[in-house]
Amino acid sequence: MQPDAPLALGFDTSAAHCAAALLSGDRVLAERIEPMMKGQAERLFPMLEEMLAEAGAAWRNLDLIAVGTGPGNFTGIRISVAAARGLALSLGCRAVGVSRLDWIAHGTHGPVEAMVDARQDRVFVQPFVDGAATGDPRQTALVSLDPGFAGLRLTDAPATIADIWPVPVRCITPAPADLVRLARRAPADAPAPAPLYLRAPDAALPADPPPVILDDA
Amino acid sequence: MTGRPLTVLGVESSCDDTAAAVVTGWPGGNDAPRILSSVVSGQTDLHAAFGGVVPEIAARAHAEQLDLCVARALADAECSLSDLDAIAVTAGPGLIGGVLSGVMCARGLAAGADLPLVGVNHLAGHALTPRLTDSVTYPFLMLLVSGGHCQFLAVEGPDRFARLGGSIDDAPGEAFDKTAKLLGLGYPGGPLVEAEARDGDPERFAFPRPLLDRPGADMSFSGLKTALRRARDGIVAEKGGLTRRDRADLCAGFQAAVRDVLVEKTRRAIGLFADRTGRRDATLAVAGGVAANGAIRAGLEQVAADAGFAFTAPPLALCTDNAAMIAWAGIERIADGAALDASITARPRWPLDAAARPLVGSGRKGAKA
Repeated sequence: MQPDAPLALGFDTSAAHCAAALLSGDRVLAERIEPMMKGQAERLFPMLEEMLAEAGAAWRNLDLIAVGTGPGNFTGIRISVAAARGLALSLGCRAVGVSRLDWIAHGTHGPVEAMVDARQDRVFVQPFVDGAATGDPRQTALVSLDPGFAGLRLTDAPATIADIWPVPVRCITPAPADLVRLARRAPADAPAPAPLYLRAPDAALPADPPPVILDDA
Repeated sequence: MTGRPLTVLGVESSCDDTAAAVVTGWPGGNDAPRILSSVVSGQTDLHAAFGGVVPEIAARAHAEQLDLCVARALADAECSLSDLDAIAVTAGPGLIGGVLSGVMCARGLAAGADLPLVGVNHLAGHALTPRLTDSVTYPFLMLLVSGGHCQFLAVEGPDRFARLGGSIDDAPGEAFDKTAKLLGLGYPGGPLVEAEARDGDPERFAFPRPLLDRPGADMSFSGLKTALRRARDGIVAEKGGLTRRDRADLCAGFQAAVRDVLVEKTRRAIGLFADRTGRRDATLAVAGGVAANGAIRAGLEQVAADAGFAFTAPPLALCTDNAAMIAWAGIERIADGAALDASITARPRWPLDAAARPLVGSGRKGAKA
């Protein structure tokens, strides 16, 4: 490999893992998925540096950062998005956000619903045909999923979770390299990566109403 | 030893301000340190409806503002990352979502620019600010009083802090916000309560001065908040609402109680500081948003003067959360020979004085601050 050939790095921490891939063109130089419930913030950079070292490459060789933007664990999404934006600024290269639902649906044929566990008996879901989105991603209750859906339902959730969902779902592990492949399709003027939360922040407005203000006697 | 001035980028995101700044200098150097840029992107509007900072809302804003603030700070300072000696980032204590976003952004910046990274304690940033703004020498007494913190520190070195006392529950800034919320004044509460208090009678309501009957410099403000709520509810039950006069008097009474507690406890902290360091002519420095309150500040200036201490309060923009203080604290740490390790970890809890007995939040995760 030419040491100075431009490389692309993709990574994701929106689920219970650190996942990353390093590509030169379409050739995968390194690819890893390390499962972990926590510790992604501490592990991400050492893991990426190990992968660069394995390929004999350095940060300055990168000309594209692909980053998973969720939906998923809010903190996990921010870990990668903040890291990607910091890297892009210092390297002067592009950073492109990739939806986890696009990632799941990548390379599929026919009608597909990509699903991500949203906990509390809910899922994040988006319809695709031949890997291209045909509707917006949304959050929905598991019970409101259409049992008559004719296509394939795919998720990256573990089978232990998906098995208790009320509709049949196939569990897959999306390839980290696909983050890069999807990012390469983004338009040149794609905005900076931003988390795809699909859920409003958990915050309650004050229950205690302010007092009535009377005229001074 | 005097070294070559260092130029450091600071990054701060531990509460509701996203900030980046470039500072150049060397502690005790011939030239005073210079703040080349200081960008603060506040989130007040996002939290206003809730009457306080909502952690998830804050974290969301930080994640998308950090790199933009850094880019602006570099542009304002007319420098690039390659002109820097290091990057300093707040690694705690604070709201973990924001701290984590800041640390990850800084790690990305440091990796890509091949710069050393130093993790700074947010409270050390505040505590070392008088050295940035006024070249105050060690040791000095610091009163850090904000929406999230309230403590007296003997600052003896860049990494040597002794806590002489602090709030065992709420911080005064939080009490100001809650008072404003209870009285329908808006957010943030500090300036609004102060403005109301100007026309009020501080004597009408006899609010408690908690812990004044106990020795030492510890404080408590949660009972004061409860007393204010009771007084408000009493008036509302009687009249069906508050008159403007009632509201002004409640604000004046509340502010006077906070001032009296802070002033008396500062007097005692000065004594504790003198006993500890043998210094009777040092500086009392204050930082944090509450230090902007005119009545409180006047009281603190008086108590310092009575004790023969100099008084300093950094300009308001450097009293409240900012990244210049983080950059400066980074410079102090590097000059002090701190080991630079890129593998810094975000810490929601990180007491400056690890040896002190925890004041608040001393649950299984340890002391908060």
